[in-house]
Formats: sequence, C-alpha cells, structure tokens
Amino acid sequence: MSKPELLYGERVPADFGQPGNPLNFGDRSTVELTEVEIFYSLFELPMDVAIARLPKSLHPSIPAVMATNFWHGREGPFGEFNLATVALACRTGIKPRHLIIGSWCDNPAAAQFFRERYGFNCQAAAIQCRESFERVVGRIVVDDKTILETVGTEFLPIVSGGGSVKYSPPLNLTVIDGQAMLAQFEAGYSFKRVLRGSANNPIFNAREIGDDAIQPTTPIAGTLAVCDVHLLPVRFQVDLTVPAEAGGASKIGGK
Amino acid sequence: MKFGLFFELSTPRPFTTETQRMVFENAIEQTVLADELGFASAWCVEHHFLEEYSHSSCPDMFLTALARETKHIRLGFGIGTCVPAMHSPIRWAEKAAFLDMLSNGRVEFGTGRSSTWNELGGFQANVDETKRTWDEYCRVIPKMWTEERFSHQGTYFNMPERCVLPKPVQDPHPPLWVAVTAPGTELDAADRGMGAIILSISDVERVVPRINEYRERIKTCEPVGSFVNNQLAIANWMFCHEDKDYATEKGYELVAEFGYMAGQTVEISEAYPANNYSAIGLLGTLRPDPNAPGDKKEPPASGLCFGDPAHLITTIKRWEEAGVDQIIFMVQAREHLPQAEVLASMRLFASEVMPHFIDAGASEVRRA
Repeated sequence: MSKPELLYGERVPADFGQPGNPLNFGDRSTVELTEVEIFYSLFELPMDVAIARLPKSLHPSIPAVMATNFWHGREGPFGEFNLATVALACRTGIKPRHLIIGSWCDNPAAAQFFRERYGFNCQAAAIQCRESFERVVGRIVVDDKTILETVGTEFLPIVSGGGSVKYSPPLNLTVIDGQAMLAQFEAGYSFKRVLRGSANNPIFNAREIGDDAIQPTTPIAGTLAVCDVHLLPVRFQVDLTVPAEAGGASKIGGK
Repeated sequence: MKFGLFFELSTPRPFTTETQRMVFENAIEQTVLADELGFASAWCVEHHFLEEYSHSSCPDMFLTALARETKHIRLGFGIGTCVPAMHSPIRWAEKAAFLDMLSNGRVEFGTGRSSTWNELGGFQANVDETKRTWDEYCRVIPKMWTEERFSHQGTYFNMPERCVLPKPVQDPHPPLWVAVTAPGTELDAADRGMGAIILSISDVERVVPRINEYRERIKTCEPVGSFVNNQLAIANWMFCHEDKDYATEKGYELVAEFGYMAGQTVEISEAYPANNYSAIGLLGTLRPDPNAPGDKKEPPASGLCFGDPAHLITTIKRWEEAGVDQIIFMVQAREHLPQAEVLASMRLFASEVMPHFIDAGASEVRRA
C-alpha cells in the first residue's frame, strides 16, 4: 500500500512572524527556584484550529489541547515574580510538548532571564496567581485590561504516584544560529504539594492573547502545585521547516 | 507456554472504507491462520476515539466474527471497559455469554478501565471513580453468569432481580482477567483471583518481581468469580524471519509505528492527575516522561520477540523461566508490514519456534 498520511501542523514558517532576540547560551548553570506555585489548566479546542497553528514539524495531540499556566515565584535570583503562558499541546516524535502562543511576566529581571535563556517573549503585564480557601485565580492584565482569567475550583489533593503533574515542556519561537527555531524550555520539578480540580476561563480575550482563533472549549482539569523548580539550560530545538516524520527535536549543536 | 495474538486494529490515514476494511479483514485472516497453526488465543482491545492507534471500538463484534471463522482458538476481550459511562455491567455479561455461546465456550473475559483522556473525557466519565467501578463490575458480572436470577444494590450499579441471558457455555463461566499497565494492578488481579495481562512492554528482568508477587498474592485471594484464574499473560511484539537482522529492523519499525500513534493520545496522567492513575498507562510507557529534561529515550526492552527462530526461542525461554504462562503478540501496526510478510512470520514461528514449548497450542484453561 502507499505510504500512509500523517497528522501534523500546516502552518508555514512565514506565518509565525518575527522571532524574538537570539538565545543567550552564556550561562549554563542550573537556576533554583524554591516553592513556586504553578497553576496549570488544560482545555480542549477544535482540532482544525490546532492543526492550522502548528508547524509541519509538530503533531497535534489528539484531542487538541491548550494550556493556561501561571507561575508565582517568591524566592530565587529574581525575587518575587509571576510568569504566565498560553500554549498549544503538540508532539515531536513521542514526547508531549507545548507550543507557546503568548507569555507575560511582571518582573523585568525574570522576564529578561526567561526571554534570553528560553525564548519566552514575556510581555509586560500585571499578573495574579492567588489561592483562596475554595478557588485559585490566575489573571493577566495588560494596560488595565484583563485579557485572561482562569479560575480553578473543587480542588482535591493528589498524593499517589509521588503527587506530581506532568508539565509538557514549552517550545518558544526564537533565533538559534541566525535561524528561526523553536527552543525547548528545560526544567525539573520537585513537588511538595499537588491539588487537582476543575478549571474555566471567565475571561479569554483571544486577540489580546495572541491568536484570534484560539478558544478553549471543553475544560479538562486545573492543577495547583507547589514545587521547587530546577531551571536547566536549553538543549533541544525544533526546526519549523523539517516535516514531523523526518525530524522532531534535535540537540542544539555544541551548546 | 501458550501463544496468542493481540489486535488493536490500528488503521493508517486516510480512513477510507477500503483501508478500514483491509485492516479488519487482514486481522481476521491472521486469526484464521493462527487457529490452524495452533496459537492458543486471539485478543481484541476496546478503544474509542484513538485515531490510527486503534479503531477497535466493538471488540465483541470482532470476536464474534472470529468465532465463526475459527474452531479452536480462544477469544479474549482485551479488555472490556468497566466504566458506567461506556457500558453497563449487564451488557458485558450478556455480550460475553453471547460470544461464549456462538464460539462454543471459547471466551476469555478481560476487564479494565481505560487510561486516556481521549476515551474517558470523550464519554464524560468520572475519571476518579474508574478503579472502584471496575472493582464492582468484576464482582457482579460472574454472578450474572452463574446465578439464575440476579439483583444488586451497589455503589455504582443497581438492578432489580432479573435473569441475565444467555448463560455462558463454559461452566461455571469464562475465565476472568485484568489488563495491567500500571505496576501494582497485577496485585489487584491476584487479590480477586483473576488472570493478569501485563500490557507494558518491558524487560524480562523487570517483570520477574511482579510475577513473583502475583503468584504469592493469589495464594490467599478472595476470588470474585467461581474459580481462581491463576494465569499471567504478557503482551509482546513478534516478527520472525530467517534473516535475524531483517527481522529486527522490521520489528523496530513496528514499534516506531506504534509509538507514533500512541504518542498523539492524551494520557490521563498527563491531563488529569488523579489518585487512581498514579502510573502512566500503556501508551505512556512508550514516551519519555514530559518532566524529564531532554529527550532521553529508554533502551529497547530486552524481551521483544524480533529475530530469527533461534533468537525467539532463546527470548521466549527467558519469559517461560520468569513464570509467564502466555505471550500475546502484536504482529502488525498501522498495516506497516505487507500482509504476506505477517503471515509468513506467523508460519515460521509456528513451525520453528512453537514446537520448543510444551502446551503451545490451544488448551484447557488452567485453574488453580
């Protein structure tokens, strides 16, 4: 029989726009952040939307999934900071990854670090990630306008299996060796507390987030974790132009 | 040692009528040959919404087709999903007994609960309760087969007194099994006196402690059925060819095809952390941990059955020594291999490998 068709993204490289600044490979140390609160929620979205937004080097997940993610760090080299991302689930080879649609940060030093080391564009924003007795709220406010609000409720502790959350590594559009590339964020997590509940988005301004067409549909789950995060150097890249069946992630040469 | 086939009915895109029918018809042809060659069993999964990976949403119907095309081979549900949003336990009791009737007593009834968001989310099932619902199903289904009239007031399932029909041919009922993906589930099987089908492809050495614990634990089980089904089966891949290198190459191509298909699904452990899904499922075992830095891949499992007959004999002897009763082979993935090569591999296996193992053919159910 003829070679079977594969399911992968259809977005051409030119549609990704200009990547940010080149990555800085100078500092290869591991950066430790202690007791970071991570509010991470997953939602389904239409498959056609996901395929139209992924490059041909990435497979979509089935069903199509997107994530909102809020980090609240209290201690570490940048002091207190909040980092928020919106991402699209994808695969290279058999490893789950998330293509970053937009990212925001409220601490200039942290923003510079995440931008230079991992390629997050880190727009300036007021970001909240707050836990109260019966809910968690993550909020991104840009120019006094809330563009995303994710609310998690009905949380239960997750204790079995080491009480962990599987975070798919984000991929950011950046420049590596003068070429537009997706760089893979690298981190390890030591979990201290994990809760899981339901999640919804009372406010989801797709246009301001960065893509008109992205709208979450079916909520999957929201999780709140407290963990020590070990920020590792970037090691892998995904070439936008290499078809999924021929490539996947590759190691960044000599870095 | 007995040998079986394991069908996912994986289907390449595009999902044309021609392609889908080819997958189903090829699997039936493989089973008919397996029946002639003396394979002991054919198992069919139940999966939903798993594009390419498995189009086997109705294993009972597939097994019924096999029943009418074969004479001896046993027919296994691998597995029937014990989740209320998908099935009532009454329907499982009816379907398995119905197939037992049409196959003249050849049913093996495997149970499980699904491990993907694709399926559980698609049916809007209560993910947190699947282990408990599975447990209740395992306890009521055998009674529906053996009691003339049955009623139940349980936690997840109630029914007034009714006669569940037909009753199975096998006396007292078909053997009960549990699909085991997460380590520890084999102990759940043992505690209930059920057979364990270990689905996570693995090294022989890594499975040995689990086998030993199962055998020890089942000695003191409280069986949910009318007898103890003290059997351990393990899923595996098989491609047998006189040219060992060619067989190995093709075998790993099958694994790669499977990995591509499995990789696109959304595991429960990835999407919906839950206390009853503490370990990754079958599909997840093929992926690197998302939280693990980099792309480090696990080395290939040592117990895969790819190679020439001599290599397969050596490998299977290791499984036999480990205490496995049955190996259930996947012989195809997304129609990657031409059907003629799959059938030739099965014939070579039957002529050169199977004679080295006693009890290789279809046999009576072992009852402890």
